[in-house]
Amino acid sequence: MITLSKKLKQAKEGKPVEIAHSPDKRASIRDKLLVKEVQEMESNLPPTCKVTFDDPDKLHQFNITIAPDEGFWHGGTFDFDVDVPEDYNILPPRVQCNTRIWHPNIAENGDICLSLLRETSLDATGWSPTRTLKDVVWGLNALFYELCDFDDPLNLEAAEHWLRDKESFQEKVTSYIERYAKR
Amino acid sequence: MADTGGDNGPGKKAADKMFSLKKWNAVAMWSWDVECDTCAICRVQVMDACLRCQAENKQEDCVVVWGECNHSFHNCCMSLWVKQNNRCPLCQQEWVVQRIGK
Repeated sequence: MITLSKKLKQAKEGKPVEIAHSPDKRASIRDKLLVKEVQEMESNLPPTCKVTFDDPDKLHQFNITIAPDEGFWHGGTFDFDVDVPEDYNILPPRVQCNTRIWHPNIAENGDICLSLLRETSLDATGWSPTRTLKDVVWGLNALFYELCDFDDPLNLEAAEHWLRDKESFQEKVTSYIERYAKR
Repeated sequence: MADTGGDNGPGKKAADKMFSLKKWNAVAMWSWDVECDTCAICRVQVMDACLRCQAENKQEDCVVVWGECNHSFHNCCMSLWVKQNNRCPLCQQEWVVQRIGK
């Protein structure tokens, strides 16, 4: 039982009366936000997307596969790694594409050009803490549909290819899928 | 009613007064007079301490900030965000502080 006299004795002997929680063991703000966001993301996935966690204890690292059901990239399965930084949701998640792809907004080394993933942006389309993981998945998925943007390319060569010859662009996309994006 | 039928006197008066109010309970609803009552950054009610202050046991120091756009956030959440981008995360207007307090 805790009594006042014991407490006073402890205090006199210079023992800490109460041990404060050490900050590094406390669940981070990121992890608290992720508990809700992962749940929301998983119950609102586009039908073309799958999310897997390598380590169920690390909600900040997961994998998304997208298998578009129409369009240029139909027939391929594209693999993305998502890493949510410690300073989430002030900073956006970092996303890399692991599947080699011929796409105007995804570089062959896996870098992705998606406005909502941009850390700093002069207009209103960049990252904002009001966004959640659900928005990230839907945004990535949309790169294969309506957000695919040939006018603001990251892979300039791919965009010019499409502008020059749409049929040959589709052929190259399909050959990349055959080589790299089959499951 | 039938017994008052042919009587124009005090009986008629009694019939007019079929109900009398014996007890009346007024119920009022209230809510905070702000456009948004949840901090869009940490997703905790603005009138409660933000996630960070809750974790660090600084509930008392956690205050609310209102922008010129009338959107409200926890002051600590917002001060982290404006370092990144000086816009209101909800309406994307340039962030100008209107008021800080509880």
